[in-house]
Amino acid sequence: MGGVARALLRRGVQAVLVAVLVSGLCFTLVRLLPGDQAMRVAEGRYGYDRVTAASADAVRAELGLDRPAVEQFLAWVGRLAQGDLGVSLVTGERVVVEIAYQLGHTLLLSLAALSLALLAGPALGLFAGLRPGGVLDQAGMVGAAALRALPVFALGIGLMLVFGVTLGWLPVAGFHATENLVLPALALGLGLAAASARVARDATVAAVNAPFFGFALLRGLTRAQAVRQHVPRNAAVPVLAYLGVNLALLVEGVVVVESLFGWPGIGHALSHAISARDVPMLQGTALSLGLIFVALNAFTDVAILAADPRRRG
Amino acid sequence: MTTSLTIDDLRVSADGAALLRGVSIRVTPGVPLTIVGETGSGKTLVAEAAMGTLAPELSASGWVVLGGTVSDAGDRAARRHLWGRGIALLPQEPWLALDPTMRVLPQVAEGHRFVRGLGRSEATACAREDLAALGLANAATRFPHQLSGGMAQRVAVAAARAGGAPLLLADEPTKGLDAALRDAVVALLRGALQEGGSLLCITHDVAVARALGGEVMVMLDGEVVERGSAEKVLDAPSHAYTRRLLAAEPEAWAEGELPVPGAEVLSATGLSAERGGRRLFEALDLTVGAGEWVAVTGPSGCGKTTLGNVLLGLLRPAAGVVRRRGGLVRTRYQKLYQDPVATFAPRLALRTALAEAAALHGVAWSQLAAMLDRLRVPDALLDRRPDQVSGGELQRIAIARALLPDPVFLFADEPTSRLDPITQQETMAALQEISRERGLAVLLVTHDLAMARKVAGRQVTLRGA
Repeated sequence: MGGVARALLRRGVQAVLVAVLVSGLCFTLVRLLPGDQAMRVAEGRYGYDRVTAASADAVRAELGLDRPAVEQFLAWVGRLAQGDLGVSLVTGERVVVEIAYQLGHTLLLSLAALSLALLAGPALGLFAGLRPGGVLDQAGMVGAAALRALPVFALGIGLMLVFGVTLGWLPVAGFHATENLVLPALALGLGLAAASARVARDATVAAVNAPFFGFALLRGLTRAQAVRQHVPRNAAVPVLAYLGVNLALLVEGVVVVESLFGWPGIGHALSHAISARDVPMLQGTALSLGLIFVALNAFTDVAILAADPRRRG
Repeated sequence: MTTSLTIDDLRVSADGAALLRGVSIRVTPGVPLTIVGETGSGKTLVAEAAMGTLAPELSASGWVVLGGTVSDAGDRAARRHLWGRGIALLPQEPWLALDPTMRVLPQVAEGHRFVRGLGRSEATACAREDLAALGLANAATRFPHQLSGGMAQRVAVAAARAGGAPLLLADEPTKGLDAALRDAVVALLRGALQEGGSLLCITHDVAVARALGGEVMVMLDGEVVERGSAEKVLDAPSHAYTRRLLAAEPEAWAEGELPVPGAEVLSATGLSAERGGRRLFEALDLTVGAGEWVAVTGPSGCGKTTLGNVLLGLLRPAAGVVRRRGGLVRTRYQKLYQDPVATFAPRLALRTALAEAAALHGVAWSQLAAMLDRLRVPDALLDRRPDQVSGGELQRIAIARALLPDPVFLFADEPTSRLDPITQQETMAALQEISRERGLAVLLVTHDLAMARKVAGRQVTLRGA
């Protein structure tokens, strides 16, 4: 399987580039933000009302924020090369430990959302595509357009209002039981699922109209047998390719949804780190999200290779 | 003698226009029946009516007797349950008829499993035997894109017949195949006649009818004009149309005077080319003079098209030099493609496409119109889209378009392989005449050795690797 090795190698190189770019960008952007970084860190540690110029200076000296930016950056990259992401400026805990805890939550949420996009969406799309113009197809078109048009935060708030507040069926925040996962996963996954349903629908229509499907019928297979044997795999290829391109939406969505639902994942930690100017935490979380993106892409590449033999050189 | 398929008084019409006017056929086991006719003669409609796959907008009447039951030809669902079991249809383009994401073996096994109702492992074993019988034992685990055209054709036959249908229908099974592959397909079809099988073959290729033997039926404008044994119809035709059809075979073409090459328009020295690391040809020298015809022949995949593209400068050779006559712009070296449909913008009316091309090359419309008229392209056709005219008409339009930049050299890549014999002869005759008048040099890539011999003064045969 030369194709798989090549795909993974390409993604490996990409992962290194992502690490370098994300580090550089975070470092630069934090310094461009208005306000005194040391003051904001001190606020995070001691509280808004107890910060003094002296405590800010103490923070500045302790963290080396008074040293030149280049020197700070090189020090960070040097530690990163050894696998050391530094220490959170706010909690004093090692960033690696913080992220190790959050990573599990983020992966759980992402996988729940992805399985919506990979299973529920395409399954609906398949049935819609088998009867183009039918009730399911028409309803699917309207539903998908509505879900794709809603921004993730609006969808999330809408879900909270309907299922959490009005109906009282599901909790709107927290992370202790399975039902906590439902609303954030829906908020994150519904948009992707809607889009992949439409892609699957079009791919199904194409497969049913392909000569190989007609030939299967002419060979004596029933329509149900021909659909089962020849449609899902052929329809899967465009769905996977579409998801691969749109995984960025998932990573963006993680930040919004986790913050919205108080989900203790990397995206939530990222938005906290920004407001607290917790640079090591910010770099660590952004880097993790970047690497998750690359890993998901690598996974998609392999899945496409598995589904479509023509791409395995 | 029992019959495996009888069609009686089949009439098909579209919006009141008759497409088939009372066609009757009778297919008996062991004796192939070949329907020969040009595009538009209605021969494919006969096969579609037998299967029940006529387009819904067509109305049909007549009787079909298949598998011991009589049904109305217009009742499309009546024979659906016999697909794969009683009647099998061989697809025209086998590489499109196989699922690209599935290996060959399970595709053949489907017929045994779903149609004959065998268990999974038994079905696979049967499929393995089918493939082995066709010399494809090594190809069982391949995917369709890893098959050659001839292998795909054999896999399609195995898949079509796996359900056990005694009657095989083949609609243009040799379309676009070279002579060697065509013979292999004919042998394959004859194989279907063993063990009491029957065969109905529809083709525009008289050579296929001759090789299959048995019964032959000639169709023209929705009617059968002549029928009888292959020897009788093909050796002593009684109908004028049959005679014309036979005369259109390249073997029967008149031995015309071949043009004398004029000044050199293109020369190549020490040319070699590769594809996918495989050497296609090497150290090839070629000079083409004005008005000269050079034929390039050889088996499928040997690099015929590559050679033409290298000469045009569309591909870079692995080694060697191509010299085109100095002072001429690149557009004076033109190409005519095998599949004209693919060379026209699909949504554009032909008139628009041609007007744009004429404007691009600074040719007045009246001049182009005169050429179209000469190529017998009716003006009304130009308001249609490329997929709404026949292959022969479109190829003649493509010729008119290729002549716009006043070329000195034309690379014609199998320009008539998708046309029926009469259209092919007319198209080639028109091209020869224009070439003679203008001193246009033609590099003709073809798989038809007889045609190459008749039209070209010189032949280049590529052996392939």
